[in-house]
Amino acid sequence: MIQLKAIDKYIESRFQRIFILKGIDLTINEGEFITLMGPSGAGKSTLLNILGLLDEDYAGEYFFGEKRIKTMKDKERSNLHKSEFGYIFQAYHLIDELTVYENIETPLLYRNVSSSERKSIIANLLDRFNMVAKKDLFPAQLSGGQQQLVGIARAIAGRPKVLLADEPTGNLHSAQAKEIMEIFQELHTEGTTIIQATHARENADFGTRLINLVDGRIKTDEAITK
Amino acid sequence: MWKNYLKVSFRNLKKRKLYTGINLLGLTIALVSFFSITLYIHHEWSYDRMYTDADRIYKINQEFVSGGEMQLVGTTPASLVPTLIGEFPEVETGTLVFDLSIFSSVLVDAGQGNQEESRFAFVDENFYEVFDFEILAGQKGALLNEPNQLVLTESTAKRYFGSVQNAEGKSLKIDGSDYLITGVMEDFPSNSHLDFDFLASFKTHRHGKNPEWSPSNYYSYAKLRKDADLSQFEAKLPQMVEKYLGEEQREYGFQTSFQTQPVTQIHLGDQTLSTVKPGTDIKYLYIFGVVAILLLAIGIINYVNLATAEATERNKEVGLRKVMGADRGQLFGQFVSESMLLTFGAAVLSLFTIYLLAPQFVKLGEVPLNLALLFSFEGLLILAGMVVVVGILSGLYPSIFLSGLEPIKALGNKVKIGGGAWVRKSLVVFQFFVSMGLLICTFVVKSQLDFMQEVNLGYQKEQIVALPYHYNMRNSIGTVKQEMLRTGAAESIALASDMPIHVKASYSIFPGGDNQKEFMITGYSVDNDLVNTIGLEILAGENFTETDISRSYANDSTLQLPIILNESALQRLGWSPEEAIGKRVDFGGGLANVKGVVKNFHFNSLHHQISPMVIFIDPDQANVLLVKMPAGNPAVHLASLEASWKSLVPDRPFNYKFVDQEYAQMYRSEQRVGEIFGLFSGIAIFIAGMGLFGLVSYVALRRTREISIRKVLGATQGDVISVLSSDFFKLLAISAVLAVSFGIWFSSSWLSAFANKASIGIWPYLYAVLIVLLLALITIGYRSWKVFSLNPSKTLKSD
Repeated sequence: MIQLKAIDKYIESRFQRIFILKGIDLTINEGEFITLMGPSGAGKSTLLNILGLLDEDYAGEYFFGEKRIKTMKDKERSNLHKSEFGYIFQAYHLIDELTVYENIETPLLYRNVSSSERKSIIANLLDRFNMVAKKDLFPAQLSGGQQQLVGIARAIAGRPKVLLADEPTGNLHSAQAKEIMEIFQELHTEGTTIIQATHARENADFGTRLINLVDGRIKTDEAITK
Repeated sequence: MWKNYLKVSFRNLKKRKLYTGINLLGLTIALVSFFSITLYIHHEWSYDRMYTDADRIYKINQEFVSGGEMQLVGTTPASLVPTLIGEFPEVETGTLVFDLSIFSSVLVDAGQGNQEESRFAFVDENFYEVFDFEILAGQKGALLNEPNQLVLTESTAKRYFGSVQNAEGKSLKIDGSDYLITGVMEDFPSNSHLDFDFLASFKTHRHGKNPEWSPSNYYSYAKLRKDADLSQFEAKLPQMVEKYLGEEQREYGFQTSFQTQPVTQIHLGDQTLSTVKPGTDIKYLYIFGVVAILLLAIGIINYVNLATAEATERNKEVGLRKVMGADRGQLFGQFVSESMLLTFGAAVLSLFTIYLLAPQFVKLGEVPLNLALLFSFEGLLILAGMVVVVGILSGLYPSIFLSGLEPIKALGNKVKIGGGAWVRKSLVVFQFFVSMGLLICTFVVKSQLDFMQEVNLGYQKEQIVALPYHYNMRNSIGTVKQEMLRTGAAESIALASDMPIHVKASYSIFPGGDNQKEFMITGYSVDNDLVNTIGLEILAGENFTETDISRSYANDSTLQLPIILNESALQRLGWSPEEAIGKRVDFGGGLANVKGVVKNFHFNSLHHQISPMVIFIDPDQANVLLVKMPAGNPAVHLASLEASWKSLVPDRPFNYKFVDQEYAQMYRSEQRVGEIFGLFSGIAIFIAGMGLFGLVSYVALRRTREISIRKVLGATQGDVISVLSSDFFKLLAISAVLAVSFGIWFSSSWLSAFANKASIGIWPYLYAVLIVLLLALITIGYRSWKVFSLNPSKTLKSD
């Protein structure tokens, strides 16, 4: 589904290139649940951003299915980004001025989903995450775990094939983190491809494949057997 | 989608109260100024467009060439209109208007004693064929066909008879003759150049019965046929002049020609032409129009600056929305809808404000603001258009800026608003340029107004009242004067044709001798007391004496009329004051003898140089009684004067005017310009000041951490102010340079309309720049103090 070939990402400074990613070759198949691990600065977030088409400033080749990203037009790329990817952040990044309901609705608005369809999608999501009673609250009125639930609901509202999560449990305590991971597992069994970056080894156990990044290179890449 | 945009916009505006408040207030004030100026300009532009056939009604003006001097006047002979109607197939109809107030007022008696009225005109029977004003009572077509018929305006009818219906068929005694009221018309609209209370049939007047080609005292209007060719019509006018005036022209050596002027151009056209109502110099409409646009621009700039500066706080939201799939167009739509919402709010607020402040505007502009126009369908449509345009203009730059942010950087809070800073900087420069520029204009206008009040006019205008004098009073005037002097309410009393502030009558003078030519000269007909009453200074010869009055020059051609010349006349004649005394000249068709010379005095507006003048004895031509009151409370003296008047001239009302107030009135339009400039420069400074406050606030907010670190390292409050202000002061300095250059241009071009002008030093410029700098300093100082007083332990902790 996704194929990365010899991806380099570097910052040009006066005397040298500082590599953030170096020679990444990676093939991701549909339905995988991949965990990216590694110390701070290993390049986990950068790799996620490249995968999610948010960062176009790199060397190497990226194929999504048959499509070669480099040669796509802005409009096509933005459409691909819209239809195939969902994002979850460590700091939740909800829009403070919008209610729970409206936060979940936003990606659907950008995808020109009709009003009645939006209503039913959001109703299902609220129901699934037990947030119906909280739909008119603003993010500031929710706990961190609840905010992240909204973040997940928002990310999957547009039914993306790939879910990218950057330290989704980093700001949560362990009970909340476990809940989030169980939801990921559920989404995975429903067929969603998930790529998460994390510091916590125990989170990797929910996935199917573990990739260790060190200093911008892939150090190990192994399947997880349960 | 739009619902979502609006909802988010609304919540954003609500959340940032300072930001929203500044923008809302700035835009509202700018829109109020813009709309009220627009309404004023529209009113001035709409003059005389309400007649059904306004596009083919022309006023006929007359040009004289005599003794090498050309003079264009607004009045024409009584024979012109009948001749045009009778002999020109192009002319559908025409009408004549004789504004009696040029010469005198009338006394109107409805049975309760005389009232003095000045808005009185004779018009011929075609008046309503040309100007289709609404007739409220009476039969159109049979209103002013016979002598001694009268039409009142609605409010005059109500004033005299209580209602429109009561007035019809009644009669009024005017200057002793009875007039039958045949109809009542609507009041003349404020945007008509015609403005009277009474219209009487011209047939009453002797020139109405037997029209002649002299004198030229009448306004003439012609309505051409729909298919008529104006240039063909104009081309035939010289033939008519030749036919009726040819012989006379050759005999007296002058030339006359007639010119057409569209009725819609009377109000804004040539301001030297006499017309019923003083017009408006179109130059001022342009100036006000530019000011309106500048104020609007300042309001929009406030928004642009604040919204861009605020981008630092919005970048997370922008980044998120992009990650969630928003494309640039959608984000653009969101930010524009936010500015649109704000503009809409400001427009609604400004409508309220205009509605509430309308009476104040009317006082300032001296024209009614047609609010109905603003609240009409078209008005609201234009308003909606304005909201869209202003909304887009103010939202455009911030939207482009914000929607162009890169999502990852935006989320990472790495955005610096350094990019595009030059745009914001030039906008700030522009705002302060406008503020300072308007302030300089205000000060320049003010200097000239002060100069005009304080300049030595060559005569005294204080403590002098003018009372109306009529020829009928000639037998009792001696007694009136004596009585007023006896009571001590008057020091000196003179009869004169005009107040000394504006002497109008023009005569021809021919000094004789070989190399002298006849020329036109201003003539001031007075009695022997004028020189002392208004304090003219005699340079040579002597003042008139009582015996000069008692002789009758008109009936005895061997007598020589004694005259006094001013310095300008001597200059023109090439005589020294001593030489002039005893010289004989031909003046106004009779022999005259120079008896004295007076120092020049300003008998005309300060727009003009002092021209040659003859002062001569002829109390019968007097229109005013100039009374010099002794020092002390004028009210007491006035009461005493009134008592004397009432007992000796019981049939004429006592109406007084202070000469110095009338003098100030002459410069009303300049004064108004000064007031309007003052007001709008205040507004501009206020809006720009708020914008600066907002901008400094954001800069301070952004640099809170830096300032806290500086404080920890030992910076004083002064250091903090200089850190925050150095950038802004560079911008203000550029604004000041631009504004001063503009001010120099403005003062030289505006003052060029005055022959007598104030010398403008550097003070107006210095004051304007210092005032704006001071306000900026206060704004910046206040913000710096607020940031400085924060506790560094708190501001540094959050990072």
